[in-house]
Amino acid sequence: MLSAMDSNQKRFVEDALDLLNELDEGLLQLEANPQASAPLEQVFRTMHTIKGGANMFGFENIGELAHHLETLYDLVRQGKMPVSDGLISITLHAFDKVRDLLQEKDASKIANAESLKDHLKIAVQFLKSVETESASSVSNGSNSAITKDELATFFIRVSPTISMTPDGNHPLVFIIQDLEALGTAKTFCYKRGDATVIHWDIFLSTTTAQPEIESYFLFVENECKVEYSKLLASDLFSSDEFRQFIEQFEAAPVTVDVLQEVVKKLAATVENKTEHEAETEEPNAAGKKKFNDTYIKVSKRKIDDLLNWISELIILQAQLVNATSHINSVEITEVTEQLEMITSRLRDTSLEIGLVPIETLVTKFKRLVRDLSKTLNKKVNFLSEGAETEMDKDVIELMAEPMIHIIRNCIDHGIESPADRKMMGKSEHGTVKLKAFNSSSYVNIIISDDGKGINRESVLKKAIERGLVTADAVLTEEETLSLIFHPGLSTASTVSDVSGRGVGMDVVKQKINDLRGYVSIKSTPGKGTSIHIKLPLSRSIIEGLLVKVEETRYVVPLNVIDRIDRISYDTLIRDNHVNKTVVVNEEILPVFSLRKKFHNETAVPKTTDIISVTVNGVKKGIAVDRIEGKMQTVMKPLGDVYQHQDFIAGSTILGDGSLALVLDPARLFQLSEN
Amino acid sequence: MKKTILVVDDFASIRDFVCETLQRKGYETLGASNGNEAFKVLTEKNDSINLVLTDYNMPDCTGFELLKKIKENPAVSKVPVVFLTTESNPDKMRSAKEAGLSAWIKKPYRSETFFAQIENAISNG
Repeated sequence: MLSAMDSNQKRFVEDALDLLNELDEGLLQLEANPQASAPLEQVFRTMHTIKGGANMFGFENIGELAHHLETLYDLVRQGKMPVSDGLISITLHAFDKVRDLLQEKDASKIANAESLKDHLKIAVQFLKSVETESASSVSNGSNSAITKDELATFFIRVSPTISMTPDGNHPLVFIIQDLEALGTAKTFCYKRGDATVIHWDIFLSTTTAQPEIESYFLFVENECKVEYSKLLASDLFSSDEFRQFIEQFEAAPVTVDVLQEVVKKLAATVENKTEHEAETEEPNAAGKKKFNDTYIKVSKRKIDDLLNWISELIILQAQLVNATSHINSVEITEVTEQLEMITSRLRDTSLEIGLVPIETLVTKFKRLVRDLSKTLNKKVNFLSEGAETEMDKDVIELMAEPMIHIIRNCIDHGIESPADRKMMGKSEHGTVKLKAFNSSSYVNIIISDDGKGINRESVLKKAIERGLVTADAVLTEEETLSLIFHPGLSTASTVSDVSGRGVGMDVVKQKINDLRGYVSIKSTPGKGTSIHIKLPLSRSIIEGLLVKVEETRYVVPLNVIDRIDRISYDTLIRDNHVNKTVVVNEEILPVFSLRKKFHNETAVPKTTDIISVTVNGVKKGIAVDRIEGKMQTVMKPLGDVYQHQDFIAGSTILGDGSLALVLDPARLFQLSEN
Repeated sequence: MKKTILVVDDFASIRDFVCETLQRKGYETLGASNGNEAFKVLTEKNDSINLVLTDYNMPDCTGFELLKKIKENPAVSKVPVVFLTTESNPDKMRSAKEAGLSAWIKKPYRSETFFAQIENAISNG
């Protein structure tokens, strides 16, 4: 029988698939950091939500599986068991199965799928093994070991204190019914002449603990009185005698004393059936964790709005400084200085809002490495360092794809098969390492492997074959390696599922370029390859030095500036815009003159200011006419027409409303080298 | 007049499902995806909302935090709050009760229990 999903079920499936992804991430984070409470809470909560939804929409099998796994993680939460590889593995596999199952279009197929049974069994087994372990290692204190709810038979007398009929609409009526559903039950209802209830007597054998039973009546406390007696720590309904015995109460209610007496006699005959499914709706989850730092989810749009307004504020603040500069008033100066300080703090804080740790990426990669190495029959360890490094959320999202590609290449092309590695005297396990760190306003990400490295000859041969370079070209090591970023060059001899379709590395480079980042590659044959990505921390606000050349203003990012010297303009040799022999501060510095490159030399100033910058480890100088001062500035993109003028990172509006161009020093020097 | 129930759940499919179920029974519904949002809706439209039906486990602002917020704010503290949740920890239930919760409905629920509790909560506050 085919039962199409109703719209609610469809919605659930969509949401659940999202949740499963979150769960994956949480699990991998937890695996990497078993002591961390945040991922644990996330895992727990996500499972809990999946459980609730699944039960609600008729997928009890998924709900049950989630419930058992949730139970395991609750034990972890209560500190009763550690996070183990085994636990993470069974969870990942179980929910992979759930994910597969949810692809199914037919709701009944999902609900009746047998495939979850195995995973359920595994989870239950796992729980049992944990319980036996802890039972043998921990003395049975009340709150030390796992409290397994004992099967017990209760006698519960519920006496309404307000007038109600057993067929009425008072919640109590339904609570009684819910209670009956907790196990085997027999209920007697005693009524007055006017059909109102005197009391209900319920015999209930259940694994639910008394505190939880009591909780059923919590919200009707004022409308009824409830008495509980635990008759026996076993199922009395398994005794025929007991069942016959309670039949007589149909006519008249029993007293608890009589009941206790009879039960005592019966107890001997009742088999002690303590064997039952591990039901662990934990009665006392006392170990709830509180966190000092709390998080809220904010829509990206709001943050963008905020940043935009702050950027306007910064411009306005600069304008104010400009407009009041000629007013000689202590009061105004004081206000503008305060304003400047506060805007700069506001800027810093607002920038941080948009930054998130790259941890999310790292977990994605872990899963990738785990899955890929299995597919390719390779043994690969994934190490990460600096996962707490923060980066713009947009940038993280944009970088996910390129980095996944790089890691794929590492595993597919870099890491050798275990046999090959052994032969070469390496450990069978290859290593892929991701290292992230901040340096000034950049985030550095280095992805390295200890595989076979890139075969330079083969890269060069391919490049020549495809006409990318001429056969007689003399290339440096770096130039050869950077050929792999050329569109249409792949060194894999066979195209695999995983990588090697010949698209990719060029896209990687393009993406990084778009983000105004840099990528470089190093490789040692037999030792491995490492790819270094350098990305700007923020894409919009920078601190810079405002400089003037003729009537044009430029901004040089402050983070690259080492020092500033003033020399005579004549020192710059006239015929070239780059002078390699200028001596500044007793050192020879190659100097790029903005005036010589972009402006005319009709009315040259007497002196020129040389800004020494370090770009990619090399010291260089930029010659400008005059330095106007330090400023923090909001970078606005240039119009579409200028998008490929890449030595200009963007533009900015100055306090007086005029425009300044933000220079990208590294690219400026690239321009000069070509 | 139709009664209006504010349904709070971060899980959209459950929220929609609950809303639909309530609508079929003749209630008006409003939705919110977390406690903060719910509180905002509630304070804006407090005269027209008869009941808040919320999940317990939600990110950012849990059902319990929402409950406390509502009960501590005199403008809206009269609006009954009911939890609809898979959570069944008696301690949590008791503290919620003490904080002013009207009813605790466990998921999955039976529709009779569900409507009886809701009706009861609306009429008794």
